[in-house]
Amino acid sequence: MKDFPLPLIRLFPTPFRVQFGADITEQIRRDAEHAHARGLMAGLFFRLLTALDLVRAAFAERRDPAWSHPGLPSPNQQDRATMLTSWLTDLRHAIYTLRRSPGFTVVTIATLALAIGVNVAIFSVVDAVLLRPLPYANPDRLVYIAASAPGSDFPDEFGVSNEFLVHYAERSQLLENVSNFNSFTNTLKLDDRIERVRMSWVHWTFFHTLEATPMIGRLPQPEDEDLIVVLSHRTWRTWFGSDPDVVGRTVEISGQHRTVIGVMGPEFWFHREDVHVWLSYWLDPETLNPGRFGDALVGRMAPGADHDSLSNELTALAGELPERFGGSPRYAAVIEQHRAVVRGIREMLVGPVEQALWVLLGSVAIVLLIACGNVANLFVVRAEGRQRDMAVRRALGAGRGALVRAQLAEAFLIAAAAAVFAVGLAWISVPALQQIAPRRVPRLGDAEITTLSLVFTAVAAAFTALACGLVPALRASSPRLTRLHESGRGSTNRRHWGRDALVVGQTALALVLLIGSGLLARSFWELRNVDPGYDIEDVFTFQIAPGDDHLVDAATFARFHADFAERLAALPGVESVGMVENLPLNEGVSMTRFLTEDTPGAEEEAGVRLPQTWAAHGYFETMGIEVLRGREFTANETAETSGNVVISETAAEALWPGEDPIGRQLRRADLETWDTVVGVVEDVMQNSFRDDPMGHVYFSFVGQPGNDRVMGSPAYVIRTTRTDSIGPEVRAAVREASPTAPMYRVFTMEGLAADSMADVSFTMLTIGVAASLALVLGALGLFGVLSYVVTQRTREIGVRMALGARAVKVQRMVIRQGGLLLAIGVVLGLVASAGVTRLLESVLFGVQPADLITYLGMSTTMVLIGLLASYLPARRASRVDPIESLRNE
Amino acid sequence: MSQRDADGISNLEYHVLLAMAEGPRYGYAIKTAVEGESSGALQPRAGSLYRVLARLISAGWVTETEAPEPDEPHPGRARKYYGLTEPGREALANEARRLRDVAALAEDRLGIADGGR
Repeated sequence: MKDFPLPLIRLFPTPFRVQFGADITEQIRRDAEHAHARGLMAGLFFRLLTALDLVRAAFAERRDPAWSHPGLPSPNQQDRATMLTSWLTDLRHAIYTLRRSPGFTVVTIATLALAIGVNVAIFSVVDAVLLRPLPYANPDRLVYIAASAPGSDFPDEFGVSNEFLVHYAERSQLLENVSNFNSFTNTLKLDDRIERVRMSWVHWTFFHTLEATPMIGRLPQPEDEDLIVVLSHRTWRTWFGSDPDVVGRTVEISGQHRTVIGVMGPEFWFHREDVHVWLSYWLDPETLNPGRFGDALVGRMAPGADHDSLSNELTALAGELPERFGGSPRYAAVIEQHRAVVRGIREMLVGPVEQALWVLLGSVAIVLLIACGNVANLFVVRAEGRQRDMAVRRALGAGRGALVRAQLAEAFLIAAAAAVFAVGLAWISVPALQQIAPRRVPRLGDAEITTLSLVFTAVAAAFTALACGLVPALRASSPRLTRLHESGRGSTNRRHWGRDALVVGQTALALVLLIGSGLLARSFWELRNVDPGYDIEDVFTFQIAPGDDHLVDAATFARFHADFAERLAALPGVESVGMVENLPLNEGVSMTRFLTEDTPGAEEEAGVRLPQTWAAHGYFETMGIEVLRGREFTANETAETSGNVVISETAAEALWPGEDPIGRQLRRADLETWDTVVGVVEDVMQNSFRDDPMGHVYFSFVGQPGNDRVMGSPAYVIRTTRTDSIGPEVRAAVREASPTAPMYRVFTMEGLAADSMADVSFTMLTIGVAASLALVLGALGLFGVLSYVVTQRTREIGVRMALGARAVKVQRMVIRQGGLLLAIGVVLGLVASAGVTRLLESVLFGVQPADLITYLGMSTTMVLIGLLASYLPARRASRVDPIESLRNE
Repeated sequence: MSQRDADGISNLEYHVLLAMAEGPRYGYAIKTAVEGESSGALQPRAGSLYRVLARLISAGWVTETEAPEPDEPHPGRARKYYGLTEPGREALANEARRLRDVAALAEDRLGIADGGR
């Protein structure tokens, strides 16, 4: 109270305060004394009125400065100008000093450019895939809806059927709109161009649910005929040459002509980016056939609704389905167990890759931290070399701020230069990342260096500059003038806690990355060594879609196949040829319920659900799928109906546990015809090498009545050592056999296998690169610190050696110091790894996140590299010439 | 200060200039002089007073000067002394003349006899 309202003087602009502050203080103090002499109230009044006056005057002064010297720039401008000049001077000085030490400059810029570069590259990917908003209105209210039926033999999560869609759309209070979605491939024909492309067959409410608007034309309406199609922007561009009058043109899909009614904008995609066209349909609730599960739904929640309450509502609604739509007792049983699954649309679209991407960004961030550590260390060493210079400057009146600024200027210059190179590096590496990344990462193709990437670079560089420059700057400018006396002399026992901590931290972080990449490498190795049941080497594969009019039934297709297979077999270097409906790693298989002669119980629920597919003679031989008992299909069985079937071992075990299946009979629950088992083959992994092997039932494509296959898109497999070069010859054979058939999905099994492991290999490669960088940088850090320590202790070492210490002992002393830091770092790194590697769990295969061997192996690697980094300075220490070292003082 | 020339100068400005007419004065002395010479009509508070002083300095009428012989012993910091510049004297003189003229005009109109001064 005694000083009130003096603190208010601070409200005045600084220059005014500097000039008049003391006078104002004196006046207020003296007047206050007089006022108090007249009594307490007078004193209080005085203080209050003076306070008001100060506030009013201070603000008036800020708005309309009275204090400005004529002929001089206003105080503010003057400050700014001085600041700018001194910054410029600092920068100019920094450029000068950095040019005098090109080694330091190049090493620091290169280290930081590398570290910032990988961060910018990964960030650009994260930005494109995760950060950019999804291209739908209010995406938070969009949900993915599927079904689960705990306790049934259905998968954990499965698609629903049309009656769900109709019922949800009519009765749900919490859904504003709902549609199905799916994707499949079919033949798209426009004039002479025929290709197999991905399409989606959606309820007409699809676009309305997503609140998407077309770029050209209109969207499906319920009154539309079925024969319409909406094009993706890419299809419009690449198939129709961006024709503005595209609406009304027709395309042919599976032999049906469909009219284009609209084109979506370039940003629109749903569920998969490669959907070329959307076919729309309309449902008649009266003619629904319930129980054909398969499609997931996308819904738009009403404002305020949440996933849990929606899930409860939908589960309750589904309970009404058997009553409304009928269906089999088995259907009613599934509905009994049904629980609706509701998830945010973002989780469905990018959720599967989200964690992996953040882990990657975290890994490269660690690299940046380690790099900052190294560079900061170099700065500290450099600054210590200039301590005397600093002390002199300080003694001559340079403020601490000025000294810090001068030091920081160098760090900022280095970081800025590094940032420029980093952007270049990222610009090169983003396309490389796109090449090696798993294909299914959505929006990956959009990754590029954007403004946001540049902002990220700037922030990373600024952080780097501060991290590298601030500590050395503060240390070097420390106001302890005593340093003047220290001269250049190395004080032998001064510990450098900061620097030691740096090495420990770097070691720990590098070890975390090493262990992560080690776990991934082991997963990759395990996956490579999985026996999927078929060979991945020397198998060439492709699909065709023969659309010829004469291929009307299995018999005509069999003749086509025989001719075509013969052409393929005649190609040079072809050992065998086979054909199958669903090639492993390329397409999924459908599940069907199978019955045997002795299946008991009511038909609706009895039997075993197994994957089924159709194959031709030569398939098992070509794929290297071993025939365990009996035989595979003969050429004859591929030519005409035989009623024979081949099953895999798990299927055999499921159908006839413990019995010999050869000669036994089975049938599909939906068919009346019985097939006889003639062979048992190995199980195969259909979808990925992470699968459990599945039991398959292989029909011959020329089947019994009701089980014939006119193969619309058969997959051919060719065993040849010429998988890399046979493509053009195969294409020519396709043109001869069926001139209009598109040939697509041309792979080698090796390529498919690599694709299916892309999640592991991509993560492994990127984290591997990060880990290698971290290891090298960490080792360099240790090397730098020990080298510096040796230099500092040269005199002490010289004395020791003069007193008879042996070289080995000196070496051991230095290595021990390095080893101690390493040991602490390794322990911390192990603890951190145990916590962090759990994040990799979804990618790992055949190895636990806490795999002892990997932990031990990587720790050993870290220690060995670290000891090597310690050995070099230690050797130098042991070669110190005692006389030289003493003379230097 | 061409702007203020046109507007004339304020009463407080006049008294501040007046306070320094006999020689440089320091801040608090100016304040007491203003109070005394305006017969207590002006009791400028610190904020306002120093903004006026700042404006006069910025206009070039007042300048910070060497201290004359210290008139009172004063502990602590050296006080800042302010004095009139030549333009400041002139401005004060002009204003004094103007005040005298308008005062004369008033006396004339009211028929108050000139007391011979």
